[in-house]
Amino acid sequence: MRHGNHRPPAGVGVRLSWRAVHIEDAELIARARSGDVTAYESIVRRYQDVAVRTAYLICPETDADDAVQEAFLKAFDALPRFREGAPLRPWLLRIVANEARNRRRSAGRRHGLALRAADAAGPQPTTPGPEQIVMAAEQRSELLTALNALRDDDREVLGARFLLDLSEAEAAEALGIPRGTVKSRTSRALGRLRVTLGPDGMVER
Amino acid sequence: MTDRPMAAFDDASLEGALRSLATAIDWPTAAPAAPSDVAAGPDVATQVRVRLTDPTRRRGSRTWWRPAWQPLRRSVVLALAALLALAVVAGAVGLGLPGLRFIFGGSPTPPTPAPTVRPGASPTPTPTLPAVPGSAMGLGELVQITEVALRTGIAVRLPTDLRLGAPDSVWVDEARGNQVAYVWASSGALPETTERGVGLVLMRFDGTTDPGFYEKTIGSGTHLEMVDVNGHDGYWIAGDPHFFYYVRDGERFVEENRRWVGDALVWSDGTTTFRIESALGRDATIAIAESIE
Repeated sequence: MRHGNHRPPAGVGVRLSWRAVHIEDAELIARARSGDVTAYESIVRRYQDVAVRTAYLICPETDADDAVQEAFLKAFDALPRFREGAPLRPWLLRIVANEARNRRRSAGRRHGLALRAADAAGPQPTTPGPEQIVMAAEQRSELLTALNALRDDDREVLGARFLLDLSEAEAAEALGIPRGTVKSRTSRALGRLRVTLGPDGMVER
Repeated sequence: MTDRPMAAFDDASLEGALRSLATAIDWPTAAPAAPSDVAAGPDVATQVRVRLTDPTRRRGSRTWWRPAWQPLRRSVVLALAALLALAVVAGAVGLGLPGLRFIFGGSPTPPTPAPTVRPGASPTPTPTLPAVPGSAMGLGELVQITEVALRTGIAVRLPTDLRLGAPDSVWVDEARGNQVAYVWASSGALPETTERGVGLVLMRFDGTTDPGFYEKTIGSGTHLEMVDVNGHDGYWIAGDPHFFYYVRDGERFVEENRRWVGDALVWSDGTTTFRIESALGRDATIAIAESIE
């Protein structure tokens, strides 16, 4: 598994025109459904990075690459069942998430599930987005430790919403839960994250 | 930069902190950092294309690079299942399989055995069909399909197989692992199961088929086969009617009023377990299972 690309990948944090992406996806899907593997390769290339990140949130890193490959193969077979006009990204991410959960369950452990900071002492992004908060390296490390300490459901929903920047609807589809559950689970997970960050939490300072 | 402890952040600030954290995580990538980075190997898209064009690839096949012990495990499981069928003569024998625990031996007598009337099998006048398919099955509370998500927090996932259409009744029982049961009436396309007037039952409930969680009692006339359902291990159980049980914390309790169950397919997807009861046969039932969206 390669590391080090901190640029937002296609499909993650890049606000392309949804309609433009959607139309192009539809064309590629139509071609892929008719057996055009090259068209499907273009689809995979568009979403492979967000897929790998999704798998990395859920299963041990050593399994993430396999989970993503297998998910894309299954998605190809399942394309005839893809609902025409539906957004493709959350549908793909749901298959990825299922594959990643299978591997996590097979591993039977949480070992290797921890997200890592690229460089704990590294620089803060020079131009944080309007919804981001400027944090010191120690704070980022503290937050990452707290996030890793959360139970799987909490970490997945916070990861999907704020690390992968999925909308509530996309997170619901990708995680296979109702949109209302995304909202309520996010709220509860933020509460538990706050507790973990507090003086009685398990984050060492 | 904030000096406030993060434990004092409100939700919006925590969300902002997490969004900021996203830029600091050492994310794995699917592609080389630069096209010239040949040492990193091909990206996922290229590998997927290569695998899709592999003439030896079977559609919907298992991953070919998985360790060799997996097919071995399947063979061992099937061999053990066949071997243990012989153990019926020696009385009750317990077997731990990955996923399900099967207990071979004499089936317990159900307190209220359901009639197993099959079409044409009885010379007596046909009893009146239940007004609602599934109403004699003890599946919980009859609800509208639009209530399922509100009652259970679970999105409705139904087969898209064209022979089914919309379910004829929907039942919820939160006490049994948030169980939701969709029932289709028997018809020309859906032969009757062991339940009068019922053509197909799709049940889902919370829980995996981890050893010890789910238990099933079968006799010598019931056959077990491990199958693949969209990449998930499943079990096709056919032959004589049998029972299903849940087991939790080592304490057994009986599910479904000890209802007799005919041919059934069981599989898990994540932390959800599904079961389809159908008289369509193995392949058609798996096809329906794989059409669930």
